[in-house]
Amino acid sequence: MYPLELTVNGRSCQVAVDFKTTLLEVLRDKLFITSPKVGCNTGDCGTCSVLLNGKLVRSCITNALSAQGKEIITVEGIAKAGELHPLQEAFHENYGAQCGFCTPGMILASKALLDENPKPTREEAKEALSGNLCRCTGYVKILDSVMAAAEKMGGPQGS
Amino acid sequence: MAEGQFLKAESPQEACALLARHGGKARLLAGGTDLMVALNLRQSSPEVLVYIGDSGLNYIKEEGDNLIIGAGTALSEILDSALVKEKAPLLVETISHMASVAIRNVGTIGGNLANASPAADSATALLALGASLKIVSKGGERTVPVGQFFTGPGKSVLGADEIIQEIWIPAQAEGTKWGYRKIGKRKAQSLSIVSVAICCPLNGGTCKGVRIALGAVAPTPILAVGASALLEGKTLNESLINETAKAAANATSPVDDVRSSAWYRRRASEALVRQLLANMSA
Repeated sequence: MYPLELTVNGRSCQVAVDFKTTLLEVLRDKLFITSPKVGCNTGDCGTCSVLLNGKLVRSCITNALSAQGKEIITVEGIAKAGELHPLQEAFHENYGAQCGFCTPGMILASKALLDENPKPTREEAKEALSGNLCRCTGYVKILDSVMAAAEKMGGPQGS
Repeated sequence: MAEGQFLKAESPQEACALLARHGGKARLLAGGTDLMVALNLRQSSPEVLVYIGDSGLNYIKEEGDNLIIGAGTALSEILDSALVKEKAPLLVETISHMASVAIRNVGTIGGNLANASPAADSATALLALGASLKIVSKGGERTVPVGQFFTGPGKSVLGADEIIQEIWIPAQAEGTKWGYRKIGKRKAQSLSIVSVAICCPLNGGTCKGVRIALGAVAPTPILAVGASALLEGKTLNESLINETAKAAANATSPVDDVRSSAWYRRRASEALVRQLLANMSA
């Protein structure tokens, strides 16, 4: 086993991992952070998405040791002092979640987008979320939520 | 069972030394978008992972007439590179259709090639661009044209102790037209059913050294050399384009699989080559 140090949602964590343990296994099974879900486990569905040093990654196919010393953000870490993040509010207000299984990944993929491009067009938002699957197929409401959040946070451009 | 090892290489030289020591028991790990999937599915069981994600293989530069991309450069960095946009827009266009944001953020161009999938999209573009690979090992280095790199599905000339260090893309001739089209099951996150990339240097309207590359329609990504040769010294016109598209489709040897049928792949290859060349002649 190898020692692994990570900062997860601002908290420094030390765990021991195997040479092929995934970041998703560390988050769920060792740190009990369960918003990233085990979906396909092959990087295709996006429900395990987290931010690694600010970049969207698939935690299910991220070797945990490759994240040594890096900073991870999950949905648990985006609400500040009990206040929901504007994206969380927007998903709540616009019925962006149905069964909820894809929602953490959708919110983080949206956050990654808005961090880089605060005023996306709906088409750009679609492209940014295209790697995240919603098997309830609630994509219209999800995109509504992202556009509403962008507006809350500064104002969207076109539609 | 012995515990597996995770060894972090600080440089390409160190990665080569580790591969030389562990031989066939080791696999290189960069972004992990192929290897970690194989590990999760238990399709691969290496005893050693040599991690090269922080080994200094991440760069894009220009040297003389060549655009040089470090093999460990993430697809998203190539997509955002002003230099690649200027020198090899075909590669940028191709990568924009690959996978999705999260995969492009960590998946590397060297990994896409080394994995040697017949459907590796970056390979199709690099074939059309006439790119070469700088391959290094503990014993030395060699240069292999992308057209001679792949030997079969999942197979390449890369030895167990070798790594791809750099991708070299030569400057394209003045007035080169290019085009790329990929057909997948859906827009994002899909493996190609067929992809076609063409670089067509036009010297006063005359074709010179055209390269037509096709992906996912043969055991390896291929260059349709015979089809390209039909265009040499000629001006693009409808009948020539049709003839070339047919010849390109004849160069394919597609399979029936879960994504598509061989019949469709052959037809789509012809249609895409025809369409791309027609756009260039317009």
